[in-house]
Amino acid sequence: MASSFYPEGTVRALLTTELVTEATRAALQARLNAPPYTPQFFDPATYALLRAVAARLFPQPDRPEPIELAPALDQRLLAGGSDGWRYDVMPPDREAYRLGLGGIRESAQAMFQQDFERLSPEQQDAVLQAVQDEQAPGDAWQTVPAGRFFEELLAELTDTYYAHPLAQEEIGYVGMADVPGWTRLGLNETEPREPEANR
Amino acid sequence: MPDEEILEEGIVNPVETEIQDPLLRSLVAEGAEPAGTIVPQPAPLEIPLPAEGVDCIVIGTGAGGAPLLARLAMAGLKVVALEAGPWHDPKKDFATDEKAQEYLFWNDERLSAGQDPVAFGKNNSGIGVGGSTLHYTAYTPRPQPADLHLHRDFGVGVDWPFGYDELEPYYEELEQFLGISGPTPYPWGAARRKGYPLAPLPLNGAAQLMQRGCETLGIRTSPAANAALSARYYQEGVGWREACTNRGFCQAGCSTGAKASMDVTFLPLAAAHGADIRPNSYVTEIERDASGTITGVVYEQNGEQQRLRCRHLFLCAGAVETPRLLLLNALALSSGHVGRNFMAHPGVQVFGTFAEDIRPYKGIPGALISEDTHRPKDADFAGGYLLQSIGIMPVTFAGEVARGRGFWGQRLRDYMRQYNHIAGINILGDCLPHADNFLELAEEKDARGLPKPRVHFTNHENEHRMNAHAEKLMRRIWEAAGATDIWAFQRSAHVIGTARMGLSGDDAVVDANGRAFDVPNLYICDNSVFPSALGVNPALTIMALALRTADKFLESQK
Repeated sequence: MASSFYPEGTVRALLTTELVTEATRAALQARLNAPPYTPQFFDPATYALLRAVAARLFPQPDRPEPIELAPALDQRLLAGGSDGWRYDVMPPDREAYRLGLGGIRESAQAMFQQDFERLSPEQQDAVLQAVQDEQAPGDAWQTVPAGRFFEELLAELTDTYYAHPLAQEEIGYVGMADVPGWTRLGLNETEPREPEANR
Repeated sequence: MPDEEILEEGIVNPVETEIQDPLLRSLVAEGAEPAGTIVPQPAPLEIPLPAEGVDCIVIGTGAGGAPLLARLAMAGLKVVALEAGPWHDPKKDFATDEKAQEYLFWNDERLSAGQDPVAFGKNNSGIGVGGSTLHYTAYTPRPQPADLHLHRDFGVGVDWPFGYDELEPYYEELEQFLGISGPTPYPWGAARRKGYPLAPLPLNGAAQLMQRGCETLGIRTSPAANAALSARYYQEGVGWREACTNRGFCQAGCSTGAKASMDVTFLPLAAAHGADIRPNSYVTEIERDASGTITGVVYEQNGEQQRLRCRHLFLCAGAVETPRLLLLNALALSSGHVGRNFMAHPGVQVFGTFAEDIRPYKGIPGALISEDTHRPKDADFAGGYLLQSIGIMPVTFAGEVARGRGFWGQRLRDYMRQYNHIAGINILGDCLPHADNFLELAEEKDARGLPKPRVHFTNHENEHRMNAHAEKLMRRIWEAAGATDIWAFQRSAHVIGTARMGLSGDDAVVDANGRAFDVPNLYICDNSVFPSALGVNPALTIMALALRTADKFLESQK
């Protein structure tokens, strides 16, 4: 299955044009050209687990190099950043992620007697589904509410994924071409810099 | 040590010093302090005390602080505004990118409790010179007169201490000053003396679809009133502001100056009249003399503590930071109502997928409005709501899909590929005050060592019924417009209350003029003083209250 209805390369091409302001170009190109990342907050084993979880929440078989979602989370937790609020039932973010990822590890063992990373994609999905449904086994879920943890993890990785220029290209979003403004904005009205869908 | 560095006598510093050592803390708590224990004394504050004070300090530069600041400066008073965040140059700094613009949100962590925990940050809280108006959608409908007397009409909530006629001249002034674009005549509410100064902004795809669905069902709609310019407009103290280019990023900061955020309207006006606006100035303490009169504030600026003296203080930090500052400083607490009456607008959104190309990122997000639901005939609840179309930015939308639908994996990617074909409608409805909805200080501290705010919020029967009524109606509108895969995202929008205005210091924090009942030179002016939530976006009313509070204050000084 094709990853997108929209032609490949549109956003990358747009970014080199004068249709994009300097501030916008700088933000998007930093994500497009992100260098390889070494975790600084998570230990290597937990980071590997996080990457394996991210690969199921955002499977990207259509991309030779997947959009990496773990670095932004590792960086945020290292810096102590916040989005302005937290569910009161959740421990502070750093603790919540350590506990929650530990819970996924524990649930994988309880359900399939195996490390999460070594499970088949279907088994991994079954573990994650159980966490989302608050049905996952494991003591960790006594200290961090499974459903809220899953929601927070998913929401954060989703933000990171759809902030990436290639994910924005995938959904046909070209709002980053912000220099000229839009004059054709009604139903079925597009401008030349808006790609047509192939379907 | 030079004399001016000695803490002035008679200044009360009510912030309790936290004892970090657990053993010592338990000893002090037991009141049994054994001989020989050295109790660490807090180091005396060494803050340069300026030789002069100012007439007025305004804390916060959003919709509450900025208009007030301008009014006071224009009256010739010496005024300083203290803003916690930086001063941006939107034309150069603002990216058309949601992630890059996150610095516009108040991102210090708040704890959200209750059965319907409220999202803060980008949902409703701002920082920077201009406050939340930097990322408000600039929807500027007026409330209808009945919104101010919910108790009189339904026997619930409380009424405002004055009627709509008190605010009307200010609405008119603001619409003309900001250059609000909107329909004339306006189809709902009281008759108006003046129409909007500019024609409405164009309808985007989502607005056209909502119009289509409503037409089929016999619901009246209209292009919305919005404080972005549909044509260039001349503004005193600012000059010409250019028309909106339909960039669609109002909620992540306007880079063209077309949107009437405070940094391109009231703040330059205030500065032109001598107001001193200090960015990166985070107020931690409000100081008083022995009689309880405020003498000044202590704030942190670029890592250094500063003190500024004043004759009058105007607190305009919003419905979370305003009560937090009052609680931290044990100030104006005699009514017992600081932090109470926390309300959040019911804001359920309904999305649908359409065959048509919508491209939701273009144009002002909510170009179409209906107020036919202000007092629905078949309502089983008090108050009412309005309807607005939504074209939504991609990252915000994806986050709502993740949280609201719980989609992940291939299913999420498949759904998100429909992005260009998805439109939404949302409501903004009245909310009642409830005893279990309140703000308090948590044990947990922020990076400055100050207690984080914890906000308890649970929707009650009235909000549930209103949301259910609205969701059903919005689903019908989308079905009539030809949508498939219709779903609802439950949310609370703006936060309101926590330092309400009223006729008596027994059940309100400030009087009808915005002045604290129990502190002679403290005024509060922001969304925290609203006695009821009003079924409309709050910014225009916050600004109207700001101008009125300034006028009442100036009259009292004559």
